[in-house]
Amino acid sequence: MKLLTKYNRVNLVTTIVVMLVTAIIYYQAISLILINQKDTDLGVEEREILEYARLNHHLPQTFESNDQQITFLEAEPGSVARQFFNTTYFKKWHEHHHPGRRPGGEYEAGRGLITTVTVGGKYYKVTIVESKVETEDLIRIIFVITIAVILLLLVVLSITNRLILGKLWQPFYRIMKELRLFNVADSTQIQNVETTVDEFAELNQAVLAMTSKAKRDYKDLKIFTENASHELMTPIAVINSKLDTLIQTENFNERQSKLLNDLYAAVSRLNRLNQSLLLLVKIENRLHRDEEEIDLKALIEEQLGQFEEIFQDKGLKLNYSLDNKEIYAVRNLIEILLSNLLSNAIRHNCNGGSITINLTGSELVISNTGEDKALPDEKIFTRFHKSSGSEGSGLGLTISRQICENFNFSLAYRFQSPLHIFTVKFG
Amino acid sequence: MKILVVEDEEGLRESIEEYFSDAGNVCETAQDYQAAITKISIYRYDCILLDITLPGGDGIDVLKVIKENNYPDGVLIISAKNSLDDRLNGLNLGADDYLVKPFHLSELMARVMAIVRRKAFNGSNLLLFNEIAIDLLAKEVKVNKTPVKLTRKEYALLLYFIANKGKVVSKNAIAEHLWGDGIDMANNFDFIYSHIKNIRKKLIEAGAGDYIQASYGMGYKFTEQ
Repeated sequence: MKLLTKYNRVNLVTTIVVMLVTAIIYYQAISLILINQKDTDLGVEEREILEYARLNHHLPQTFESNDQQITFLEAEPGSVARQFFNTTYFKKWHEHHHPGRRPGGEYEAGRGLITTVTVGGKYYKVTIVESKVETEDLIRIIFVITIAVILLLLVVLSITNRLILGKLWQPFYRIMKELRLFNVADSTQIQNVETTVDEFAELNQAVLAMTSKAKRDYKDLKIFTENASHELMTPIAVINSKLDTLIQTENFNERQSKLLNDLYAAVSRLNRLNQSLLLLVKIENRLHRDEEEIDLKALIEEQLGQFEEIFQDKGLKLNYSLDNKEIYAVRNLIEILLSNLLSNAIRHNCNGGSITINLTGSELVISNTGEDKALPDEKIFTRFHKSSGSEGSGLGLTISRQICENFNFSLAYRFQSPLHIFTVKFG
Repeated sequence: MKILVVEDEEGLRESIEEYFSDAGNVCETAQDYQAAITKISIYRYDCILLDITLPGGDGIDVLKVIKENNYPDGVLIISAKNSLDDRLNGLNLGADDYLVKPFHLSELMARVMAIVRRKAFNGSNLLLFNEIAIDLLAKEVKVNKTPVKLTRKEYALLLYFIANKGKVVSKNAIAEHLWGDGIDMANNFDFIYSHIKNIRKKLIEAGAGDYIQASYGMGYKFTEQ
C-alpha cells in the first residue's frame, strides 16, 4: 500500500469519526438549546394563564391554534407536579388545504408543560402542548448543513492531500528511480535530487554517500583483482618456463612423466582461470574501445574450423545454417564469446551427439545434446558455477554474458529436451 | 642467433637463457632498465626479448631508444599485461611481436625465430631443414622437390617443431600453439597425436627422415639424428 493511500485512509477515518462525534454533540447541544427555548415559551404561556386566572377568577377560553393546545382538567389538589415533557402534538388542518393527506390532522413531535392552577377553589391540571415541528426542522437543516460541510471538507482534504503529498513525495520517487538505475559497475554517478525537504535532502545525501562508497569499494575490488591476477602471472610464468626447462633434461620414467603432465595441466588451468578473471574485470570496465564491423558468419566458420578435429573425435554431428550478419563489436571479444559457447556445446555434449548452429539477422542460436536435464537457468551465468566434473574455469558463461551486455546483446539459456539452447539476441 | 633477454624476474630470465643457449644461441641478459639501455647502446642483437615492467624504468622506453637510434634489432615484448592497449602501443612503437606471460618457452622460441627469419632473410622466405624446404609465403612444403600436402594445423606444427628442433615440446605447448590458449580440452592431446602421426607419415612418404620422436608421453622432440 502506498504511503499516500495509507495516510489518506487513516486521515479519512479519523476525520469521519471526529466529524460524526462533533455532529452528534452539535445536534444534542442545539436540541437542548431549542428545547430550553420551547420550555421558556411554555413558561410564558403558563404565566399568562395564571395571570389571567388570578385577574379574572375563571379559566381562560381554550382555543385551537396552529401550534398550541391547552387543556384544563379538574384534579385532586396537590396530585399534580409541575413538569415538562415530550409528547406528540396532533395538528389539525382543513381538508381542502391538504388534499390526499391523512384526514383531520397529523401527529407531530411536541413539547408539553403540565402545571396547575387554582381558580375559585377548584384545582386544575393544565396541560400546554406546543408543536416542536419547527424546532425539529431547524435542527434537521442545521444537521444537513453540517453533514454537507463534513463531506465537502473530506473531498477538499483528500484532493489537497493527494496533490500536496504527491508533490511533496516527488523527490523521494526521484531518489528511488535513481537508486533503481544504480549500477555499481557503471561509471555514471547518481544524480543529486533537488529538494527543500530536510528528510529527503538527508536521504539524498545518504544515498549519494552510500552509492559513491559502493562504487569506490567495487573499483578497489576490481583493481585488487586485476593487480592480484597480474602478480600471479609472473610466478605462473616462472613455473611454466621451469617445467619447459625440466622436460629438456629427459630420461623420465613413466611415473615422473605422468606427474609432469599433471603439473602442466594444473598450471595451464591456473593460467586460464587467471586470464578469465582479468578478462572479466576488463570487460566490466569496458576498456575495449576498438569496435569494428565484424562478419559474424565468417567468424563462426573460422571458429568451427578450429574445432573441426574435436567434432570428429567426439563423433558430434554438426548442423549449421548461417545467414550473413554484420555486427559492430570488438573482434577479440566476439571470438571469445563464440569460442566459449562452442566449447561449452562440445564439452557438455555426449559422444555421438549433435550441435546445431543457426545464425539469422536477429539472433544466433547454438543448441546441443547432452545430459537430459535442464541446467539451473540463472545460476549458470554466475561466477564459478560449474557442473560437476566440468574442466572449465567456471567463468565462461559469466564472461559470455558480460560480453553480450557490452554490445547490448542478450544471452539466454533454455532447455528443450533433449537440447540445451543458448541464444544470443542482437540489439 | 644473438639474443638479449630483458627480464627482471630471475627464474624466468634463467629459464629463457638456458633454453636459448642450449639451442646454440648466444644469450645475454639484463635485469633492469639501466642494464638494458647499456647493453643495447653497445651491442646489436638479432632479437631482444623485452619485459614491459622493469625496475628503474619502463620497457616501452627501452623500445623507444631502440627505434630512435634506428637499431635493427628485432623486438619481442613479453608482458604480464594482456591488454589490447599495451599490445597496440608496443606494436605501434615498432615492436615485432608481443607475447603475454605466462608462455611456453617453445612458443617464445617459435616467435623469436619468426622475427629473426623475417629480419635476416629480408623477405626471402625459404626455410630449409635438411631435405625439407618450406616456402613461408606460399605456405608450401617440399621434400627433395616433392610437394607435401599438409593441412593448416600440420603446417603450423611443422614450423613450430623446426623452430624448436632438438627440444622436447610439451603437449600443452603444442595445444596452445594450435588452438590458442583459450582452449582447455584435455582430449586435445589425442588430436595432437593424430596430427603428428599424419605429419610423420606424409614426410616419410615424401622421402624425408623420421625426425619426430615421442618423448616419455610428455611431448615430442624434432631432432636431426
